[in-house]
Amino acid sequence: MAAADSPSAALRRRDLCSRGIRLAGKMRADVVDLLDAYVERQGLDASASVAAVEGVPLAAVERWDEQTGTQRLLENLAAYRAFRALLAQMLDEQREQLGEADAGLGRALAAVLLQVSAFAYHLEELLRLESRGIPGEEEDGPPPPPRLSIFEQKLRGLGVLRELAQWAVRSARDLRQLAKPSPATGAAPGLAESP
Amino acid sequence: DSHTQYERVGADVTMKCGSMEWDAAVTWTANGTDIDESHLNGSYLILKNVDLSQSGQYSCYEGSSWHLKYQTYLKVGMPPKEPVLTCRSNNYPKGFYCSWHLPTPTYIPNTFNISVIHGTKDMVCEKDAVPKNRCHIRYLQLFSTVKYKVTLTVTNALGKNYTAVTFDEFAIVKPDPPESVVAKPVPNNPRRLEVSWQNPSSWPDPESFPLKFFLRYRPLILDQWQHVELSDGTSHTITDAYAGKEYIIQVAAKDNDIGTWSDWSVAVHATPWTEEPKHLTTEAQITETTSASTSSFMAPPTTKICDKGAVVGSGAVAVCWTAGLVVAAYSVLFI
Repeated sequence: MAAADSPSAALRRRDLCSRGIRLAGKMRADVVDLLDAYVERQGLDASASVAAVEGVPLAAVERWDEQTGTQRLLENLAAYRAFRALLAQMLDEQREQLGEADAGLGRALAAVLLQVSAFAYHLEELLRLESRGIPGEEEDGPPPPPRLSIFEQKLRGLGVLRELAQWAVRSARDLRQLAKPSPATGAAPGLAESP
Repeated sequence: DSHTQYERVGADVTMKCGSMEWDAAVTWTANGTDIDESHLNGSYLILKNVDLSQSGQYSCYEGSSWHLKYQTYLKVGMPPKEPVLTCRSNNYPKGFYCSWHLPTPTYIPNTFNISVIHGTKDMVCEKDAVPKNRCHIRYLQLFSTVKYKVTLTVTNALGKNYTAVTFDEFAIVKPDPPESVVAKPVPNNPRRLEVSWQNPSSWPDPESFPLKFFLRYRPLILDQWQHVELSDGTSHTITDAYAGKEYIIQVAAKDNDIGTWSDWSVAVHATPWTEEPKHLTTEAQITETTSASTSSFMAPPTTKICDKGAVVGSGAVAVCWTAGLVVAAYSVLFI
C-alpha cells in the first residue's frame, strides 16, 4: 500500500482537510467584511460589474464534480499564491493612496493576506502528504502589470476581493471532496483518482 | 367564415356581417340567443364597453334566408401586466429553476418566453411538464462571480409585458425545508423533547454541501419562540421544555456557506413525558397522589404560584394551600 493510503496518512489528510475547511470559512468571513469596508472606503458602488482582470485567478470552474483530488489541490495552490501577490500589491497601493489615513483598511488587508499565505502553506502540506511534488513558484514572478490609474487600481482591488471570496467557498467544497472516504476501501481516495 | 376575435375589457366592438352591405337585413345571435336590434347599426353589431360576460360565439344570419353569413368567437380579456418571476436553487450545485405567474388574470391565452444569460453566454431553460410555469437550468459552471440575467416575456393577443431578474449563483440558493421532522418525549425526563429530522430529499449531496439547521419551538400556550442554530447533525434534544405542556416545533435548513434559509418545515407537536397518575380508591390514596403529583408538576421558571407565607410542608413537596387545592382538583380528574 502506498504511503499516501496508510491509515495514519488518511487520518492526517482528514485532519488537514478539516482544519483547511475551518480556515477557508474564517477567511471567507473576513474577506466579505473586508469587501464591505473596501467598497465604502474606496467610494465604489458595491453592485459595480468588474470585468475579469488579468492575473486574478477565476474561481469559476466547469465540471467541478469531475475534478481529481490533485487537480483540486494544484488549482487551489496556484490561486492562493496569485492572491498572495495581488493582496501584497493592493496593500502597497492602499498605503500610497491613503497612507496612514486609513490604517484600519490596511490592517484588514494585511490580516487577509496572512490568512491567504497560511492557506497556501496548508495546501502545500496536503500535497506533501500525497507525495506530490509542489510546483515551484516562478522565480521572477509574472511580468509587472501596466501602471493603472487610481480608479483602475480600486476596481481591480474590488475584483480581487470578490474572486477571493468565491475561492474561499470553493476551497471549502474542494477540501470536503478530498476528505470523503473512498467507497471501496473506506480510506480517503487517492488523489490521482476521480473523487 | 368563423374565427376568433380578442378584445380588451371596456373596449367598443363593431362586428361586420362578413361581406354583407351595411343596409342588409340581418339577425345577430350571441351563443344562440337573438340580439336585440338596439345593438345594431345597420347590419353592424355594436357592443359598447364590453365586459368578460360578453365573451362567446357571435353569429350573423341573412334576414330572410337565415343563411349563416358570419361567425366569430369573441374573447374579452386584458393585456398582461408585468409578470412575477422568481428563481431559486433548491438542489445546489446541480442547477436552479425559475417560476412565474401573472399578478392578475388576462382571461385569454398567454405565451411565456424565458431567456437566461450568464455573462454573454445564452443558456437554455428547460420547461417543466408540471407545473407549466416553471423551467430549470443545469449549472455549467460553479463558483462564478458573473451574474445570471433571466428575462421573461409574456404575450397575448392584446399586448405584451416582461420582467427581468439578475442574481449571482450563491444568492438564490435556498434549500427545501427539512423532512420527516419527529419530536418525541424522553422517558422519565419531564423537561426534554427529542427532535430529529432529515435533509430535504431535493438536496443532492449533503456530504459535500452540508446543511445547517435552525430549530424553533414554543409551548402552544405562549407566543414567543425559542431558537437554536445547529451547525451539524439532524437531531437535537430540547432540555428546557415546560413539563406537561404541548409544544409546537419546526426546523429550517440552509447551506453551510451560502444562500438563504429554507421555509419552516411542517410543524410537529409533542408533550414532554409526565408521570402516570396512580388510580385512587380511598381518601388516603387521594392525599398520597396529591403529594406525588406536585413532584412532577413543575411550574415554569417565571410562573409564581403562591406567596411564601402560604406554603405548607417543606423540601421537595412544599406546597401552598391554594396550589394544593388546584392540584387536588386536577388529580381528581384523573381518577
